Amino acid sequence: MSSDVVLAVRGVNKTFGSVRAVDALSFSVARGTITGLLGRNGAGKTTTLRMINGIFLPDSGTIELFGTTDAAAARDRIGYLPEERGLYRKMKVIDQLLFLAEIKGHRPSDAKPRAETWLRRFDLWEKRASKLEELSKGNQQKVQLIGALLHDPEVLTLDEPMSGLDPVNVVLVRSIFKELKAEGRTILLSTHMMGEAEKMVDDIVLIHEGRTVLAGELEHVKSSFGSNTVHLAFEGDGSFLAGLPGVSSARVDTNAAELRLVPGSDPQAVLAAVVPKLRVTRFEIAAPSLEEIFIDRVGAGTVANRPAEVAS
Amino acid sequence: MSKTLAVLKREYLEVVRKKSFIIMTLIFPFLMAALMFVPTLLMMKGIEGKRVVVVDGTARLQEAFSAKRPTPPPEQPASKAARELGKRAETQAGGKALELKTDYVAATGDAKAAAQPYLDRLRENGSGRHERLDGVLLIPSDAFTNTDAKLVYYSRAVSDIMTEERLASTVNHALSRERLAGRGIGAVEADRLLKRLELEGVKVSKSGEEKKGGELSFLVGFIFAALLLFPTMIHGQEVMRGIVQEKTERVVEILISSMPSFDLLSGKVMGLALVGLTQVGAWLAMGGAMAVYTGGAALVAGVNVFQAVDLRVIPWFFVFFLLGYLTFVCIYAVGGAISNSDKEAQQFMGPIMMVAMVPWMLAFPILQNPESTLATVLSLVPVFTPITMFMRIIVSEPPLWQIGISVAVSVATVVAFFWMTAKIFRVGILSYGKRPSPAELWRWLKVA
Repeated sequence: MSSDVVLAVRGVNKTFGSVRAVDALSFSVARGTITGLLGRNGAGKTTTLRMINGIFLPDSGTIELFGTTDAAAARDRIGYLPEERGLYRKMKVIDQLLFLAEIKGHRPSDAKPRAETWLRRFDLWEKRASKLEELSKGNQQKVQLIGALLHDPEVLTLDEPMSGLDPVNVVLVRSIFKELKAEGRTILLSTHMMGEAEKMVDDIVLIHEGRTVLAGELEHVKSSFGSNTVHLAFEGDGSFLAGLPGVSSARVDTNAAELRLVPGSDPQAVLAAVVPKLRVTRFEIAAPSLEEIFIDRVGAGTVANRPAEVAS
Repeated sequence: MSKTLAVLKREYLEVVRKKSFIIMTLIFPFLMAALMFVPTLLMMKGIEGKRVVVVDGTARLQEAFSAKRPTPPPEQPASKAARELGKRAETQAGGKALELKTDYVAATGDAKAAAQPYLDRLRENGSGRHERLDGVLLIPSDAFTNTDAKLVYYSRAVSDIMTEERLASTVNHALSRERLAGRGIGAVEADRLLKRLELEGVKVSKSGEEKKGGELSFLVGFIFAALLLFPTMIHGQEVMRGIVQEKTERVVEILISSMPSFDLLSGKVMGLALVGLTQVGAWLAMGGAMAVYTGGAALVAGVNVFQAVDLRVIPWFFVFFLLGYLTFVCIYAVGGAISNSDKEAQQFMGPIMMVAMVPWMLAFPILQNPESTLATVLSLVPVFTPITMFMRIIVSEPPLWQIGISVAVSVATVVAFFWMTAKIFRVGILSYGKRPSPAELWRWLKVA
């Protein structure tokens, strides 16, 4: 991994009316990495990505792409996948893609073979002449993804790229991201799906209320939280787990739990206390999951509302 | 530039490929023609099928209503409108005079009493035993002696000007003939004496040229005013809807992240301008073809359609079309940019379009008096000038300096509107909240 910085956000502020969406935000993204921009809903992820793409201008602070703050110069070298659908509903898939390539400065004749390759790759070849509105949500998302990378950008900024995709497509997209990274491209993706992020990001930038609360290499961040977490899979009623001696906090799902231990307590003792009451199918002592870190840093208020698919 | 062209191409193709555009382009000329000629045709039909009983108190005018005698030309038209309509109707009927079915009844005694059974039949409206009647004309017995005597026409509707006009002129002509006959002047001589001369409108120009066919150029003025206005309204709506849609579908984020908003707006506006030109171009071509076809027929009937259209106004048409079009497309683009839904956009545009319609609503006085203060002033005021000036050009020959001012004012308006639109557009298309107040708009203009 190169430490060459391709994107640097420095002290950026953005206010909408009385709402401070981004507050003195700073972080940087290294070339050839996949960086996860993490945060709760309304944390400022989308606003940040929009500013990087020159859709909004920061009220103050600078955004440097490819070593320049001139957004116009970077425009054709960056790809953007908006959070909501950003496509013409009535336009045919192939026409749409060629148009998107054209406004990124590519001739349609050059973009066409690339578009066709990507359509095949994303299993959309049969749909190339369909209007966008005739496609399923997942397929529309894939078209949008092709639109973001068709002009061969060096940096891809993706706002919730996995939204609407089924598990098969998630795996496909993840492998494509890894290929793009192997080609030396940089990906900055925002998500609140920690399990998904954990599987592919190198670096994380965790933001909360418009501010960076945690940033760095994922492994580094995790190890800094220590190896005092027990991942437990079981059969039975695990509701008592939070009250066990030596457990400082617990997140209990159906048939799985993540326990933070009080520093110095013995995981072995915890296991001993669990075995008589539950049928343990997995017991692992590890660094906390990204989700655990996320909740730890941006407030436990999210636990109750946590969507089921987040559990990993 | 290539990005602007990409937007231009997309906008153009999107509209031009639409079925609604193709259908509109094909049927609009027919629709216009129908709007103008159907009422006349219906009126003509109306007069033709009418059955009128003439109760003549003088009992001396039978000859005028006998079937063999052709109805004389209208003598003293009650109104210019009636004469116009009659002329147009007759032209369409191939030049032949309209037949009005009249039954003549000579009443020697009390004319009103003699008319009574027919009036009853008129009231029955075909529900009784008798044949249906459409009207009863009562000629008073003192028609020859009393100059204040009145012809009375009874019918179920009194709005049939054409029938009344026809009957009145027939009776008056016959009365005059009879009066002359009473002084020993023979029928042929009387007809010669009573022959009216037609008046013909001739338009003179600086070049010394003379042109006939005033009424037709009036009509042509209306048609061209419509051509200037309607595509603007239709496609302006289209721009607005397109922008609102791009906002709601968030395509705008992709667009703005790929190109400067000024280039985006330029592409859109130019694309739409091309759409408008395509459409009016097609209409003019169709109109031209129709004129050549029907003009030939009309020429045979003695009407020269080509007299009414000076082909030299066509370049002016395109100049003023583009200027008017761009002015309004910019206004519509702002409407779209600051609104979050079609409904909101329509509400915003409603009052603005009412103002824009002013020259159209004043088309009648402008065409009738192209050199009046009203027409002159309107033709120099921004926003109103393209349509008004072109209407003036069609029916008269405005001074060149006025045309120059009009073009300059229009160009300045378009540039100013485009500049403002680009600014509002940049901020507006990304604001998803509530519609901005005028004060906020002003701030956008200054800040952006």
